[in-house]
Amino acid sequence: MWSCRQASKRWRNFSQWPTAGIEIEAIEKRGADFDHVVIAQIDESKPHPNADRLTVCVVDDGSGTKRQIVCGAKNYKVGDKVPLALPGAELTGGLKIRASKLRGVESEGMLCSPKELGIAEDAAGLLILSPEAKIGAPIRDLFSPDTVLDVEITPNRGDLLNHFGLAREIAALTNKTIRLSSTSADGAPALQKQGVGISASRECPFYSARRIENVKVGPSPDWLRAKIESVGIRSVNNVVDVSNFVMLELGQPTHAFDADKLDGDLNVRLARDGEKFLALDGKMYALTPDNLIIADDKRAVGIAGVMGGEESGVTASTKNVLLESAYFLPASVRRTARDLNLPSDASYRFERGVDPQMIFAASQRATKLICEVAAATPVGTIAVAGEVPPNPPDVSIRYRRADELLGIHIEPATADAILTRFGLRIVKQASNLPVGSDRKLETCATWKIPSYRRDLQREVDLIEEIIRAHGIEKVPGEDRSRFTPLSAADRNYDFEAKLRRDLVALGLSEARTSSLIARSEVARANGAIQLRNPLSEDHVALRTTLTPGLLAAVERNIRAGAERIALFEIGNIFTPPTGEQQRKLTMALCGQAASLKNWRAQKKRALDFFDLRGALNAVGNFEFRRSKQSGFALSAEIFHGSDRIGHGGQLSSGSSFGATTAVLVAEIDLATIAQATEHAERFKEIDRYPAVTRDVAMFVGPEVTHAEIVGVIAAANEPLLEKVELFDLFMENDAKELSQTRKSLAYSLTYRDKNRTLTNEEVSAAHARIRERLRSDIGAELRE
Amino acid sequence: MHPLEQLREDALAQIASAPDERALEAVRVKFLGRGGSVAQWSDKMKSLPNEEKPVVGKLLNEIRAAVTAAIGIRAENFRAEKESAAVANIDISLPGTSHERGAIHPLTQMLDHSIAVFRRMGFALAEGPDIETEWHCFDALNTPADHPARNEQDTFYLPDGRLLRTHTSTVQIRTMEAAAPPIRVIAPGAAYRRDEVDATHGAQFHQIEGLYVDEKVSVADLKGTLEFFLRELFGADTAVRFRPHYFPFTEPSFEIDVKSSALKGGEQWVEVCGCGMVHPAVFEAVNQSRRDNAYDPEKWTGFAFGLGMDRLAMILFDIPDIRLFAQNDLRFLRQFA
Repeated sequence: MWSCRQASKRWRNFSQWPTAGIEIEAIEKRGADFDHVVIAQIDESKPHPNADRLTVCVVDDGSGTKRQIVCGAKNYKVGDKVPLALPGAELTGGLKIRASKLRGVESEGMLCSPKELGIAEDAAGLLILSPEAKIGAPIRDLFSPDTVLDVEITPNRGDLLNHFGLAREIAALTNKTIRLSSTSADGAPALQKQGVGISASRECPFYSARRIENVKVGPSPDWLRAKIESVGIRSVNNVVDVSNFVMLELGQPTHAFDADKLDGDLNVRLARDGEKFLALDGKMYALTPDNLIIADDKRAVGIAGVMGGEESGVTASTKNVLLESAYFLPASVRRTARDLNLPSDASYRFERGVDPQMIFAASQRATKLICEVAAATPVGTIAVAGEVPPNPPDVSIRYRRADELLGIHIEPATADAILTRFGLRIVKQASNLPVGSDRKLETCATWKIPSYRRDLQREVDLIEEIIRAHGIEKVPGEDRSRFTPLSAADRNYDFEAKLRRDLVALGLSEARTSSLIARSEVARANGAIQLRNPLSEDHVALRTTLTPGLLAAVERNIRAGAERIALFEIGNIFTPPTGEQQRKLTMALCGQAASLKNWRAQKKRALDFFDLRGALNAVGNFEFRRSKQSGFALSAEIFHGSDRIGHGGQLSSGSSFGATTAVLVAEIDLATIAQATEHAERFKEIDRYPAVTRDVAMFVGPEVTHAEIVGVIAAANEPLLEKVELFDLFMENDAKELSQTRKSLAYSLTYRDKNRTLTNEEVSAAHARIRERLRSDIGAELRE
Repeated sequence: MHPLEQLREDALAQIASAPDERALEAVRVKFLGRGGSVAQWSDKMKSLPNEEKPVVGKLLNEIRAAVTAAIGIRAENFRAEKESAAVANIDISLPGTSHERGAIHPLTQMLDHSIAVFRRMGFALAEGPDIETEWHCFDALNTPADHPARNEQDTFYLPDGRLLRTHTSTVQIRTMEAAAPPIRVIAPGAAYRRDEVDATHGAQFHQIEGLYVDEKVSVADLKGTLEFFLRELFGADTAVRFRPHYFPFTEPSFEIDVKSSALKGGEQWVEVCGCGMVHPAVFEAVNQSRRDNAYDPEKWTGFAFGLGMDRLAMILFDIPDIRLFAQNDLRFLRQFA
């Protein structure tokens, strides 16, 4: 967050910020920035002659002449000071104020509510101001206008997590200069290599602490409180607030210890395994040797870069302060903040890398401010240990490489000017240097990187700075299309796209359910791989089948009152124990065969097993073998040739969540089918001679299946028989006993010879032979 | 007038005045039937003098043809009238017979549409697994341990230390491990984020990753490709803005905003894509994994991008809540049929 009262005029409209890489997430206007709105005092108030709910006030606006204002509010008394909008004022929402008559009484302006000034939501009554408010003064004196920007800073730009850094960036982008008034070297303390120590120099290369004495801890002055509260930080006391203020201003977190509560010198070390620490948030933390801490002779007093200790914090009774300003290894701070689940404003900055050159500046700035706001005196020396981390290594750039990567030519002089604006300094420039594996002659330059830009590590980083400042909009879009052969993934995609279209044409809609399943489903999903760190009970494991997810969608649609539910999903499952990914197709049907209430509709019929079979026919020619499976009333294994590719059937009523019609579901493996359908269809000659159709109707025992009958017909091996179609089926239900129940089936048999027209006699002969087979092989009672 | 001429006139007049099909049939029998007028004349012709025979014969043929044609036309008129009368009362405002089609999920439609555009530009599809190693998801993408952009908090881990990919950028690595440059692929797929589920965040979301590696691929190529894609998606008059951004695995990196009259609230910039030039460190990681120098960063450059399909579908179809995608309510799905 950034408060931008000082931003240059041109940059106040903010529209350029995003295109230079600073994303503004929100712009919040604060205060009351209105012309012609002044502080006025109510001198008189009497009822409106023509309106019960209005009053007529006489107010003093400081001009010497009293004004008459008609007012609708009730929350004031005579003598109160309130905001007065004079004629000509324009308030929130474009409300324009002019002198007018209200119910016959002249009103020379309007007394305002908080909402009308845009400073609070309260619209019920007038904004009553403090008795000290100056009559006639502009309202903006009391509610000074400000704009708070919520800015997204990317993780590589820790240097922008403070007001000075962001101002420096904007100065560079707008080619302005910036000066930092508060970091003058005046009165710099002498360094003293004692009083603090470092035992973990990798995690903490440099540490400083300055003693500030006779501190009067108390509430912060208004300006300080307002500043830190404007960006959402709670005011604690003047010392802590200064520490936070300096962090926001310069980006370097500091920490104030109560010097009198420390035993001996401070030492920066790794925690002992299991070492206990009571942090400022009042919680006890168990530490590990991964955690860097600040300790006195007896105990840990702070987690480095993360949070201070409860027992050594600054309180109202603190007399002397020890002010820490240090550099901690970003990775170490990050790991500790993450492991302890203790992110803080300080850790956020340390883990993104603070500017080592700012350590002393921040210490001095904070010392100066504490002395100002807490009437304290600093000691003249600052205790230090370690070495300030060196500046980042130099980086070279080849100008031709920049042009190639960007796709436009940028003059080296332009590039140099940009890098210079960002604070880089040219170390060495050379033309015609043999560079790279091909020893090409190149113009290059080597640049010194400023201490705060640790993200500039290689050539591309410099190229990015150049294009960011130069303007990405100056790069024209180029066409780089090219020939590309189909990949295996393309083939899979095309296969599935066709499958989707086919199923949609059959009336099924596509569902997409989550790959993550709920805790309640895990027990049923045999061995499903569970997440180590789920966030909610709804997503705890990887699905091993698509069926439960699709059935949940069916259930949801039943509850929503859908008459006909026909869904399919194509998706991945994750087979334990390895989580091998497999592509599945699942379909689920429930409800009426047709939900459209059409005036020509056939009689209503519920979807059943044969609708499921029919839908699967759109996918491939499958064989169904009866099986037993718990949860299913009717269950079948689905075969593609000799491969078992899935399973389907009708759920038992206990498993079908109260659906009033059958719930059908099938899940099949897609990989096998995708492979099988890859070959192209071939032309078959279109029949030139007519076919002859003969029907055969029969009674058979209830146990004889359609498949057996078709098998018998096929076994007759009649060369002229082209096609067998079942067109009628019913159970004879007038039998006295169940054992006498017979099944009636009627088939249409098509005969054809592709080279000639058949004679009636030869068809009759063939048909008779088939009838005889049916009679003899399965005891069919043939009907005429 | 020759009596035959008279016969013709009579016949045609009677055909014209026949009130119905039966009357017309009577006329036909009377003139053309066995023993009808024409037949009688044929008989009579035998007794005519030889020189008259051809004249009468010709006339008879003409009359037979003319009467037959007139009867045919009149009969067709009767049939047409009868058919019209039969359907005169049909209410053609009745709804047509319909067959219920299903609907393709809006996310799939979004994917299909996007894939079609990229295919026209010569991108092939690529795939990678949802369950990934930390190396493919983070390290190889220039996001080593303790990198501020490596957000383990937002990552779902499996007990064996693998994870659910947090972005489809993993397919960049998978593709480069498997094949040498040039590479020109898009990879549609699911990604996962350990995030509170709300109107704009799901635990699982869908992306299309894109990767193009070739000699002399530039920011200009990246811009051209994605500008083309976004204008195909949102309309030719779409304004496209590239905004410098940061991703560990691209440098320079950009986010793309669009502004289009086709979208609700068309005056707002809407963020639609993250992209950038492949970071040389990514090529170096791939080379290390391949144990060769196939992706020499000095020789090859590339661009990569990631498009959020859920977000794009929400923008394009004006869908207010991401959770609608996973609910599969037919009343929702069928809106996009």
